Amino acid sequence: MSAVTTPARQASGGVNVKVINRIVIYGLLALFALFYLMPLFVMLVTSFKTMDEIQNGNMLALPRAPTFDPWLKAWGETCVGLTCAGIKGYFWNSIKMVVPAVLISTMLGALNGYVLTKWRFRGATLVFGLMLFACFIPFQSVLLPMATILGSLGRFGVTLQNATGTSFGLGNPTVNLVFVHVVYGIGFTTLFFRNYYEAFPTELVKAAQVDGASFFQIFRRIMLPNSMPIFVVTVIYQFTNIWNDFLFASAYAGTGDAMPMTVALNNVVNTSTGVVEYNVNMAAAMIAALPTLLVYVLAGRYFVRGLMAGAVKG
Amino acid sequence: MAFLEIDGLRKRFGQVEILKGIDVELEKGGFLVLVGPSGCGKSTLLNTIAGLETITSGEIRVDGRTINDLHPSKRDIAMVFQSYALYPNMTVAGNISFGMEMRGVPAAERQKAIDKVAKVLQIGHLLQRKPSQLSGGQRQRVAMGRALVRDPKLFLFDEPLSNLDAKLRVDMRIEIKRLHATTGTTIVYVTHDQIEAMTLATKIAVMRDGEVQQFGTPAEIYNNPTNLFVADFMGSPAMNLIPATIGTSGNALSVVLQREAREPISLPMANAPAGLSAFQGKPIIFGVRPEALTDPEGAERNASHIATADCHIEVVEPAGSDTFAVTNLGGKGVVARLRADANIQPGTNTPLAFNLTKAVFFDPATETRIR
Repeated sequence: MSAVTTPARQASGGVNVKVINRIVIYGLLALFALFYLMPLFVMLVTSFKTMDEIQNGNMLALPRAPTFDPWLKAWGETCVGLTCAGIKGYFWNSIKMVVPAVLISTMLGALNGYVLTKWRFRGATLVFGLMLFACFIPFQSVLLPMATILGSLGRFGVTLQNATGTSFGLGNPTVNLVFVHVVYGIGFTTLFFRNYYEAFPTELVKAAQVDGASFFQIFRRIMLPNSMPIFVVTVIYQFTNIWNDFLFASAYAGTGDAMPMTVALNNVVNTSTGVVEYNVNMAAAMIAALPTLLVYVLAGRYFVRGLMAGAVKG
Repeated sequence: MAFLEIDGLRKRFGQVEILKGIDVELEKGGFLVLVGPSGCGKSTLLNTIAGLETITSGEIRVDGRTINDLHPSKRDIAMVFQSYALYPNMTVAGNISFGMEMRGVPAAERQKAIDKVAKVLQIGHLLQRKPSQLSGGQRQRVAMGRALVRDPKLFLFDEPLSNLDAKLRVDMRIEIKRLHATTGTTIVYVTHDQIEAMTLATKIAVMRDGEVQQFGTPAEIYNNPTNLFVADFMGSPAMNLIPATIGTSGNALSVVLQREAREPISLPMANAPAGLSAFQGKPIIFGVRPEALTDPEGAERNASHIATADCHIEVVEPAGSDTFAVTNLGGKGVVARLRADANIQPGTNTPLAFNLTKAVFFDPATETRIR
């Protein structure tokens, strides 16, 4: 702008100011990136060191003789509480909880968004507004009521078990966690999909109606295939939240075999016997963090691709 | 009995009445154009025919069958949308055959139908492309293909050309007209463009504020508008609607037009409409289309009643095929349409010929035609 008001400076001063601005901006960005990446770096190098090297060396130094042993130990041998079989069981626990919870909450959110925008009914806006409350409720406030509900469901599961021979999963801690995460995820997933479908051309729905497609056929054949960008955003968001959740996990599955990864990791680190094995702890933490990273790396590409498709559509 | 009949159709959204009793009918193979300014209810009317909107009261019949409460897919209609509404995730072939797929038509039969339509519309080479890889005109064709493939009783077009650029619009307009002529289908077409309405229609319904202002053939609408709104809306450039008074010259009536800084023009009326005598000495609106106001040499030879008057030319607009001259009568700019090579200069007084057989008169109070 200054170059416009004082043309004389355009040749010399303007360019210099530009360069200095760039240097300052990139310098600050690099500094913050470094600051942000430092803990990750320490974790990563520590997880490849031996205990000797950790105790005698510099925290920031690269490992002199990199070893995978801490990773293998964390995966298969380390003690979680009293059982010493590594974190692998708990890793699968988390996967078993996260995948259904993410898919169910995302699909329900998509369905809600579809109904709230394309099949408007009297009071649709009010219903949406109320659903948004789910995004603002502090989870601590629902811990006890939810525990009561899960307890009732569990007792009902026992009754079912006695009557029919199967409890249909009621009372199972993993099922409980899936239920809790689906319920509290719907607010966000509905918000995402509702806002995306608000801008989705209604004429497509009308055309499909004229073509004779039913409510669910339109959803499955028209809405979902054109929702890739928001679908990926929602999956990344839900996966990260549910995988990283500690509060619900420790409250409803804090002990026993169904314990998710986050609680198990806490138990590994908080063990009170023997030497603190920093390298194993770091490796366990890295393993716990990997899935969210992986989801972002894999799905993030589809996200960008989805945006591009929209841009070309015109 | 007509093929499409709409009787006393009303549509209310809460307290607001969008359609206030529409009565329209169309013969088999006809081309009905619903035209009007935005917000007049023409698209709502089309959606009620399609079944995408419910109706409050009235009746819609197609081929003698009442379709009021049928689901859109059961009405045997096909619709072309303003945005084309092509499914972005499907290929052109998938788009065209989606309706058949939903109705459970076997794949071999679907393919045959796709090929037939692709041949008619010359989109065979596009069948495997996605809508995002098509140009505007190609998308338009595919949207029409999706409608054609159903072979329905009734085609509905919702402003199908409004997203195209000017040149393509003219091409596609001709194409739609050709399609209608060759396939003989019955079409209801919504547009706000009165040229599309004039060129395509066999019947036009001019709408305003949820009411049909006039329903008739394009010629009737153009030459015999029933009120000021229709006269003003149809035709480009628009009809000149000049405030005037009715006087007498001898024992005939005459139309008196005020001129700036000069004595008024008095045009004697040889065969004035009967209703006009009641307006002696009163203000009226004198309507004359630009082509009925021209240079004396270019005036229609066989018109029975032409009056010539000197007019002060303010602006001359050569448009290539015609030359438009703007003069001022009754306090309003008045457009005359002259031959392209007419020798006319702005700022001069030039005689203009009024073709009074084509003139129409309106009551300024009620805005209705004086007949």
